[in-house]
Amino acid sequence: MREIKDIRDDEIRVIGENKLNLRVRKLWIGIISAIVFLIALGAVLLFIFSSHKREKNTETISISIESEEKTEVMTFPRIGQEVDSTKKGFTEVQDTTINDIPIRIFIPHNAELTLHVGEIDKQDSSIIYTAQAADVRADNGKIVGAFVLEGKPLAWGLSKKGFCASIDGEITIGVADNSPLFEKATEKNGYFFRQYPLVKDGVLIDNEPKGKAIRRAICDRYGEIFMVETLTQESFHDFSQALVDLNIGNAVYLVGSSAYGWAVDETGKRWEFGDENNYMWQKMAKNRSYIVWKKK
Amino acid sequence: MKKSLIISTSIDLVRIAPEQIIYISSDGNYSTIVQTDSEMRVLSYQLGQIEKMISQQLGMDGNIFIRIGKSLIINRSYIYYINVPKQKLILSDAATFNHTVTASKEALKQLKELLEKEVK
Repeated sequence: MREIKDIRDDEIRVIGENKLNLRVRKLWIGIISAIVFLIALGAVLLFIFSSHKREKNTETISISIESEEKTEVMTFPRIGQEVDSTKKGFTEVQDTTINDIPIRIFIPHNAELTLHVGEIDKQDSSIIYTAQAADVRADNGKIVGAFVLEGKPLAWGLSKKGFCASIDGEITIGVADNSPLFEKATEKNGYFFRQYPLVKDGVLIDNEPKGKAIRRAICDRYGEIFMVETLTQESFHDFSQALVDLNIGNAVYLVGSSAYGWAVDETGKRWEFGDENNYMWQKMAKNRSYIVWKKK
Repeated sequence: MKKSLIISTSIDLVRIAPEQIIYISSDGNYSTIVQTDSEMRVLSYQLGQIEKMISQQLGMDGNIFIRIGKSLIINRSYIYYINVPKQKLILSDAATFNHTVTASKEALKQLKELLEKEVK
């Protein structure tokens, strides 16, 4: 498929207009192909003519030309199901095993990603998935790493290089020291937070903490955004490797261990994880942040 | 036979004549088609992907559509009113529908100039 150049907000483009250039290009390709064909034909005729001459000299030559062209088309099917856009938002839940690690995949459908700080309303029926986003410092209770909530910057630190931004409904997961998406989020009432980077462009990123815990992540797999949770305690390295093996392009961590959250599936069933009453999380309630997927 | 735009996913398919589309707006990973019969249809494609489909399926006929910035594709047949300082664009058939959309001043200025050039 022909790539279309990106466009800025202050630009316009008539669609299909450069088809004319395409036709001119096709014409040139046609002319060049014809010339190449004629040269090849000439070469073959010359070869046959010279063979014929050799045959006359009582020599027998057997020619076998075999041409085989293989075209392999790489496709990456979505993990989640295709959902009719008229359907109400829900989270598709899939359990699988990667490298002997049992994982649960939460795929939101017809929903949009926002962030939330503070106590989350368990009665809010528009929420179809939530999990803790940024870490909170144990000493002063402040959010770790840069954080933007609906355009309002709440924290500016750079202790973790992974980031996730949701701006005008577009979600970007990446790894960078400085991301212009922080400023963009402040300008466009968007959302931005930082966490440990796990996978960048399909390559595993190792992180300092070496312990094992329930691990969670938000992931981008060829544009499909979903969350992954391990059902057993795993190291950062093994978790990241499992994400790489799941063909995930970019992934950043979400608060793991007993951090509380839930998903609501198609039937309305609530899938809770973590421990809602955990003392540590209660203590940090004020600055606890969540990714929140809400029905559109 | 007039060309139609076909937008297909693994479970459903939309086949629509270009003149039935007033505009297509972006909603992140989704796009919304606003039709002349007042229907609105949300599609699980990004606006750039829809633009590619228009370009590929309609070819030169696709030039009735104009991409304006990151979040809008409009049907030029229905451009009724442009106000650059107010960043206002009204799409209407002057009879049955009237939709106001916004775009950047620079984009609207370019759109205005494009239409002015076409009548010269």
